[in-house]
Formats: sequence, C-alpha cells, structure tokens
Amino acid sequence: MHRRRALIVFINSVIALIGGGLTAVLGAFATMRPSTRAEGRWVRAGLAADLTPNVPVPRVLSLSRQDGWYRERARATVFLVWDGSKGVHALSATCTHLGCQVRWDEASTKFRCPCHGGVFDQQGNVIEGPPPRALNRVDVRLDENTGAVLVRV
Amino acid sequence: MTEPHTARPRGMGPGEGPSRGPGRRPGLIFDWLHARTGFRGARHVLLDEPLPSGTGWFFTLGSVLLGLLAVQILTGAFLTLYYAATPDHAYDSIRFIISAVPGRIVRGLHHYGASFLVVAAVLHMVRVVVFGSYKAPREATWLSGLVLLGLILAFSLTGYLLPWDQRAYWATVVTINISRLTPLAGELVSGLLRGGASVGALTLTRWYAIHVIFLPLALLSLTVLHIVLMRRHGISGPVRPRPGDPIPFYPWQAARDTTIVAVVLVALAAFAWNGAPPLEAPADPSDSTYIPRPEWYFLGLFQLLKYFPGKWEIVGAMVVPGIVAALLVLLPWLDRTPVRDPRRRPLAMLFFTSGLFGVVLLTSLGWRDRPRNVAAAGTWTLREIGGRQFTQSRGCAKCHATEGLADPLEALSASRGPEWLAGHVEDPEMIAPGIRESPHSLGEREVAAIVAYVRKLSRQPYPGFDAQTETVGRVYGRFCVGCHTIDGDGGKDGPDLSHVGTKHEVDYFRRLIEDPESVKPDAEMPSFGSKLTETELNAMATYLAGRK
Repeated sequence: MHRRRALIVFINSVIALIGGGLTAVLGAFATMRPSTRAEGRWVRAGLAADLTPNVPVPRVLSLSRQDGWYRERARATVFLVWDGSKGVHALSATCTHLGCQVRWDEASTKFRCPCHGGVFDQQGNVIEGPPPRALNRVDVRLDENTGAVLVRV
Repeated sequence: MTEPHTARPRGMGPGEGPSRGPGRRPGLIFDWLHARTGFRGARHVLLDEPLPSGTGWFFTLGSVLLGLLAVQILTGAFLTLYYAATPDHAYDSIRFIISAVPGRIVRGLHHYGASFLVVAAVLHMVRVVVFGSYKAPREATWLSGLVLLGLILAFSLTGYLLPWDQRAYWATVVTINISRLTPLAGELVSGLLRGGASVGALTLTRWYAIHVIFLPLALLSLTVLHIVLMRRHGISGPVRPRPGDPIPFYPWQAARDTTIVAVVLVALAAFAWNGAPPLEAPADPSDSTYIPRPEWYFLGLFQLLKYFPGKWEIVGAMVVPGIVAALLVLLPWLDRTPVRDPRRRPLAMLFFTSGLFGVVLLTSLGWRDRPRNVAAAGTWTLREIGGRQFTQSRGCAKCHATEGLADPLEALSASRGPEWLAGHVEDPEMIAPGIRESPHSLGEREVAAIVAYVRKLSRQPYPGFDAQTETVGRVYGRFCVGCHTIDGDGGKDGPDLSHVGTKHEVDYFRRLIEDPESVKPDAEMPSFGSKLTETELNAMATYLAGRK
C-alpha cells in the first residue's frame, strides 16, 4: 500500500507541476502588455490667428497610435481656448464622468455633455451634473515662428 | 449512477471505491458534491479500468497523445487572443505575439507541439501494428485512429498558412494546386480549399475557421470515440497473455503514463524555450526567387512528387498516397488471423516495415534535397546597402524615429508586400493621409533600393559596413543598378561587374566612370563626372578594382 500511495503522490505532483507551468506561461501570455512608447509628442492643432478670445474652438487631431499589432490612426478632439493675449489652454473633449464627448454650447457659454447632463465652464471646471472632476487639461504651446498651436498628445 | 464493475480489481485501495464512508471532515464538501453529482462514480469509470497483466511502457503512447493534444488545444486557444486572420494583419499579429517572451514560448509550444503530435501518433500506430492490436474486435478503434492521424495532418496543413509569411503562402499555393489533381472533382476541391479566385483573404479566413472550429470539433469527437471504443474492448495488452490478475489503470499504469508524458512535455518545453523558427518575409505572390519547402512531415510527399513528372504527377500526388491509405484502412481485414505475436506474422510485418521505411527514406531524401542558393540569402547586396543610405538621408527619419509616428528606422520590418512598400516610400501621404510630411522626390531606383533594404532588414539586422562600401552602395543603388549586375542583382543592359576587377585597374575605372568615351570611344554609358563627388568616384573605382 505504501507503493500505491507513493505512486498517487507522484502522479498528483507531476500533474500539478505541468498544470502550474502551463498556467504560468499561458497566464503571462494572456496578460501580456505591449511595450508602450512614451507619450508626449507635439501635434499641430491649427493656427493661433484662427482663435477667438474666450471661445473654445474644437480641433480634431489625427494621431497614430500603436495598439498591439495594429497601428491605429485615431482621431481625438481638443478644445483650444485663447484668453485674448498670450495665454492658450487646451481641454480634452472627453467627459470625466463616463467618457462621452462634450460640446461647446455658445448660447450658455458652457460645455455640455450629451450623455448624463454634465456641465463644465469655459475653464473646464464642473458646474453641475455627475462628472467627478474638471475636464482634463492638455499641454499646449505656441510656436512663435509659425503661429501654430501645438498640443501634446 | 450504475457501477459497471462489480468486483474490485486487485490493487484497488479501500478508499478508492465508489462509496467512501462519511464522517471524514476534509471530505465533507466532497461528500455533499458526490451526493448531488455522483462524481466519484465518474472517477471510478475513468480511472479504475482493469488492464491485462503485463501491460507495460509501450502502452503509454495514447496518454502522450492526449497530453500533447491538451497542450495544442490550450496554446492554440490562447494564441487566438492576439491573432488576426486577415492578409493585412496576420503577419503583424504574429510578430506582436513573439515580441515578448511568453508569446514566443506559447507559439513555440504550439509549433513544435504539432511535430511532437505527428511523431507520437506515428509511434502509437507502429505500436498498434507491431502488437497486432488492430485485430478483431478492435477494427473500429483502428479506423477511428487512422481518421485521427488524418485530422492531425490536416491541422498541420491549415495551421501552416496562418502566419502569412512566404513559407505559409507558398506551401498553401502548392497544396491547393495538388488538390486540383483530385480525379473528377479537382476544381471543386481546390475551389473549396481556396475560397476565392486566388490564395488570399478568403483562403486565410477559411483555413483559420477550419483550423480553430471544424477540425477541433472533429478531433474532440473522434478522440472521445477512440477512447470509448478502446475502453469497450479493453486494451489489447501483451501479445501473449501473461498469468496474473488484471491491474487497475490507476495508479499503476497511470504512473507510467505520467512519467512518459512528463518526459515528452519537458522535451517539448526545451524546444519551445527559444520560440518557433523565425517568421520569413511577408507573403509575396510576385516573388520568383522564393523556394517553397513544406514542414518536415510532408517532405516525404514532397519528394515523391519529384519522381512523377508531367502527366504522371497524379501517381505521386494521389495514387501512391491513396494506396498506402487504403492498405492501412484494410489492414485488419488483410491480416485477419487471431495471432498477434509479430514474429508469427512475418508478411504483415514485412509490408508494414517496408512501407514505414519508404516513408522515412522519402522524408530524409526530401530533407537532404534542398536547393543550394538558400545560404546565399544572408549576404547583403549593394542595392540593399544603398537602400540603407537612402533611408538615412531622405526624410524617413521624420516619422520613423524613437519618439515618432512609426517604427524607428533601425527597427523597420516589412509586414506588407513590395508594392505597398514602394508606394509608401514614394509617397508616404498616400498610405497615411493627413499624418505624414509631404513626400520627398525619390527616383525609381532609390525606391527600389529602400524596398530591398527594408525587406532584408525584416529578416536580419543591418550588420554595418565600412564607409566606402556604404558610399558604393549609395552610388550603385542610384546610378548603376539599372544597367549593371553585381552578384546577381541589377540590370542586364550593361556588362556584369561581379568580377570586373580581374580586367582593369583603379585608374581605368575612375576615368571610365568620369568620362566613358575617354577610355572607350564606343561606350554607350553616360558620363558621371558631374554627378559624383571626388569621394564617390574614388570609392567606386576602388571597389570595382577589388571585384576579382
């Protein structure tokens, strides 16, 4: 009976080792994260001359994004807001609540989210509705030579 | 649940029976589960098979096949997490899979697992034939086993196409063309296999579906059938009955099975550790230099075709394999005496051994009969070296940079065909409207050189050459390659320059390139004195004089 017990222990250990090894390899494979390239490329988002003071202007950016094996040509909207002098800031159009795209409502001079009634002021701060925080700021700079507005994506 | 066995075979422990006594605390949840599902009965049915006395190591191959099948199914299922079955993306998705260690190992396991399965299945068949296990009443088990072997080969064939590289593409083209030789239904069969008008997107999705849905369903059903039939008649055991009581499968024979399965899987892991063989260049239907070769277990068939040229091809492609298959199917009826000892059935053994020997011989002949110029593919041509220089000096680095929109120049790897590449090099905007800078004016030859360079780079990293060679590559790739050939690459209008250094000296070449008519009044070659710098002229002349 000792021999029998020993064989059962042997079989179970080997099966556990094989199963464990396979689980480790396949688990690592299934959770494989693609090496992401550092963010922070400056992309042209129109000319400063085209902006109107204190009116957010939507700009659609074309981005090239590597999604695993797929090179995606994605589009993203940012709002450029010019304060009338030297200052320009850029706001992401993605609502901080559940990710819908906000739009600028000229009549009330507020950003409104079409999904769940989130409302943001011209600076992107939450005025009403469910959004937990202000619209995300996007880094922006002016190219003095060309007059282009560059945003970092 | 009814218990199929009334008597407990020798060696079965008291705790292993279907009714384990209640009251043991650790067993409480299992007792509950058993009361609801009867799972202990299932374990009894699965594991307590009584085996004839003397069953030994030769009877472990079935479990090896089951173990390998489990690995194939698991790794295959996980590979579908990342694989994309379209001609535009299949190659990229495989490259993504092998870009990290776990992916390399999983693909390696799946790749080599296929070979292991073929070997194990053939060994299993050899064991069955030598032990005469196909004889009555086990003919149906034998036939289901043959179908399983066919399914395993069909898996290999369909899986082969999926990476969509040169090897995959051309092996499939050849397979589909062979299928056209099918008597009466050639066009029907090849059309079914091809899906579309030519090997392409429709073929890929079709073979993918066959590989991951149709074949696995067939394989699983046939495997269950095979095992049920095996259990129905019991295993055949030693060729002559040995004295002694039957022994339960678990744990006595199961320990042998586990040992062999573990050894085989460790060997498989050792093969898979560094991943599958690297991908070849992406599928390119226009490439006439590529020499397709099948996976090793099809080399026998591949070699057989060479002996039946012209109208006799059907003999090698269909008739001989068909006869072999028919003989295997009919084996239980050709060798019908109840005698199982191989020494007492010399005729059956002779036929089977010579058939097996034939397959092994053809396979090894096919293995050795490989074309010579395969090795030469490793060297870099001047055009490719020139292409490198053009990518450096033309605007490519604007996007192909470490922080850029596209893969950095050093890591370029062609995942599309040469037409796509050429179009992209000529006009990057065309491929990616609105994103890339406007194109740089590139000559046709520079485009061709860059395409050649990127395609070579996909297979091997740039080794680096001295400044003179790189200069020569640039000049040759831009000006000379249209008319002159070096090492088999280039145009045919002018003389081949591969060994031109045996005829003239440096000074002659310099004057010839600068002003051809000064040394050869009837020269048709244009003068390059105004197009090349002093350094370029000297580099070219020195290089050509060195071509002995």
